[in-house]
Amino acid sequence: MSTLSPARDVRQKSRRGSTGFRGSGTFYAFISPWLIGTVLLTLFPLGYALWISFTNWDGIAPNQNWIGLKNYTDALSDPRMWASLQRTGLLALAIVPITICGGLGLALLLNEKVHWRSGLRMLVYLPAIVPPVAATLTWKLLFDRDSGAINGVLAIFGADAVSWMTGNTVFVVLLVVMLWGIGAGVLINLAALQDVPAELHEAARLDGANAFNSFWHVTLPSISPVLLFQVITTTIGVLQTFVPALLLSPANGPAAITAVPEANRIFMVDVYAQYFAYSKYGYASAMLWLFFLVILVVTIITFKIGGRTVFYAVDPSKEGKEG
Amino acid sequence: MTLIGHRPQTESPTAPPELPIRQSRERKNGVAFVILVVVCAMLFLPVLWLLLTALKTPQQLASDPITWIPTQPQVQNFIDATIVLPFWAYAANSLFLSTVTGVLTTVSSALVGYGFARLNGKGKKVLFGILIAMMMTPPIITLIPTYLLFAKVGLVGTYWPWVLWGMAGAPYLIFLYRQFFAQLPRELEEAAILDGCGRLRIFVQIFLPLSKPVVITAFVLSFNGVWGDFIAPQLLLNQDNTTLAVAITTGYVNSQGFPINNLLAAGAVLYVLPVLIMFFFVQRSYVNGFATSGMK
Repeated sequence: MSTLSPARDVRQKSRRGSTGFRGSGTFYAFISPWLIGTVLLTLFPLGYALWISFTNWDGIAPNQNWIGLKNYTDALSDPRMWASLQRTGLLALAIVPITICGGLGLALLLNEKVHWRSGLRMLVYLPAIVPPVAATLTWKLLFDRDSGAINGVLAIFGADAVSWMTGNTVFVVLLVVMLWGIGAGVLINLAALQDVPAELHEAARLDGANAFNSFWHVTLPSISPVLLFQVITTTIGVLQTFVPALLLSPANGPAAITAVPEANRIFMVDVYAQYFAYSKYGYASAMLWLFFLVILVVTIITFKIGGRTVFYAVDPSKEGKEG
Repeated sequence: MTLIGHRPQTESPTAPPELPIRQSRERKNGVAFVILVVVCAMLFLPVLWLLLTALKTPQQLASDPITWIPTQPQVQNFIDATIVLPFWAYAANSLFLSTVTGVLTTVSSALVGYGFARLNGKGKKVLFGILIAMMMTPPIITLIPTYLLFAKVGLVGTYWPWVLWGMAGAPYLIFLYRQFFAQLPRELEEAAILDGCGRLRIFVQIFLPLSKPVVITAFVLSFNGVWGDFIAPQLLLNQDNTTLAVAITTGYVNSQGFPINNLLAAGAVLYVLPVLIMFFFVQRSYVNGFATSGMK
C-alpha cells in the first residue's frame, strides 16, 4: 500500500494539473444556479407539503394543528382516493404501451426511404408540439355534441348524436387527446435508429436473418436505452395528467374543477379539488405525497425491470469518465 | 437493403436503368408510405377541423346536419377573436414570460451542464444522481406547494416566479448540455488553461459557441414549455396579467356563459401558430440537438 500511494499521488496531481483542477470551488460555482434552485424551488416546497400533510390546515387559518398521520389514514381508507388512483393507473396502462409502440412503429416507417419523408415526419410530430390547452380545445370541438365532426360522421351512418362530454364517454375523449401526441418520441427514436451501426444489419443479413429477426436482434437491443427512457418519461407524464381532464370539464373558470365528470376524476384532478375547491390543504398535501411515493415506486420498478432488458453498447458506468 | 427487393417496386419508371445498385438503394418503400399517409391524415384532421370551425358562422355551427365546409369562410373571425378579449395584451404577457424564462433557462442550464461535464468537485456523483432524480420528479407535485410558499412571500400575481424558475435551469436541459459537453475533446480547454484563461471565459468563448444546436433546442423547449403551460399562470397570476393559455380557455363565452366556438377556434389557432412557426424554422437544429446530445 505504502509503496503504491506516492505513485497514485503523482498520477492524481498530473491529472489535476492537466485539467486545471483547483478544488471543488469552480464546480460548485457553475452548478450553483441549479443547486440553489433545487433546494429553494423543489426540495423546500416538497418538505413544506410534507409538513402541511401532518396538519389540518384549511389554507386560510393562521394556525395549523398537528394531527399526525390522520390525513394519510383518511386518504388510504377513502374509496374516492382509490377510485381516482385506479383511473390514473388505467390511463397509464392504456396510453403508455400505445404511445411507445406506436411511436417506435412510426419512427421505423419514417426511417424507410419514402416519398415526402421530411414532410411526413413533421406531420407526425405536429400534434406533439401543440400545447395541451389547444389540443384539448381542438378535441372538445371535434367531440362537440351538436357541431362536432365525430357526431357528424356518426350521423352519416344513421347513429344518434352522442353526448361525449358527460358520463363515461368523456374518458374516451381524454384518451384520444393524450394519444394525439403519439409522435412525441419520433424524433428521439429516429436519431437512435440512425445510430444503429449499418454493419450490424449487414452482418445479420449475411447470417440469413429476415427483416423481423434483424429488427428483433439488432435494432431493438441497440435502441432499448432510448425506449426505456421514453417508457419512464411517458409513464410519469401520463400519471401527472391534469390540464386535459380539467379543460374537458363542462364548466368554465373556478367551477370547472368540481364539475369534472367522475370518469375523468384522475388523481391530480382530485388533489387540485381537495386544495382549491374544498380547502382541505392538509389532506390534499397527504394525497400529493402519497402520489409522489407511488410515482417513485413505479419509476424504480420500471428501471429495475428495464435495466435487465436494456442493452448498452457502451457500459454506462464508464461513459463520460474521460470528460 | 435487398430485404426490400421482395416488395413491390414503386420508383418511377423513368429512373436511369444503368445504375442498378444505386437504384435499389433509392427505391422507395411504398407500403410504409401508404401507412404513413393514412396516419398523418388522421393526425392532421383535428387541426383541419379547428381551422374549419374558426371559419364558420354561428349559424353554420348550429346547423343540423352539421356544416362540414363553410361556404364564404369568415376570415373576420380571426379579427373578432382578438377583440372580444384583450388577445394581444395576453399574447404580450405570454411572449414576455416565455422569452425571459427561455433565455434564463438556456443560459443557466448551459452553465450547470458545463459544470457537470467538465469540472470536478466533491460530491459530484451524488449531485448528478439528484439531477437525474429531479428529471423524474413530476413538476405538478412541486408546483402546488411552491404556489403556497410564493403566496406567503407575496410573489403571487407577479412574474418573479418565472424569473426564479428560469435562473434555476431545467434538469432535462442540464442533462442535454452535460451529454453534449462531455463528448467534446479535452484539448479544447487545455490550451486555454495554459494561456491562463478562467473557466467562465472558456465556457463563454469556446464551449457555448460550439453548443449552438443544444442552445436552440433548449430555448425552443423552454419557450414552448412556458407558452403552453396552463397550471402555473392559472395558480399564480390574475385576470389582468395572466397568459394566453389561460385567457383563451375562459375568454370566449357569450353573456349566458356558453362558449363561442368559432371565435374560440380562431383564438386557439392564433395561440398555436407561434409555436408551430418557431418549430418549423428551428426544426433542423432541434433534431440535431437531440442527436448530438446522445439522448439515448
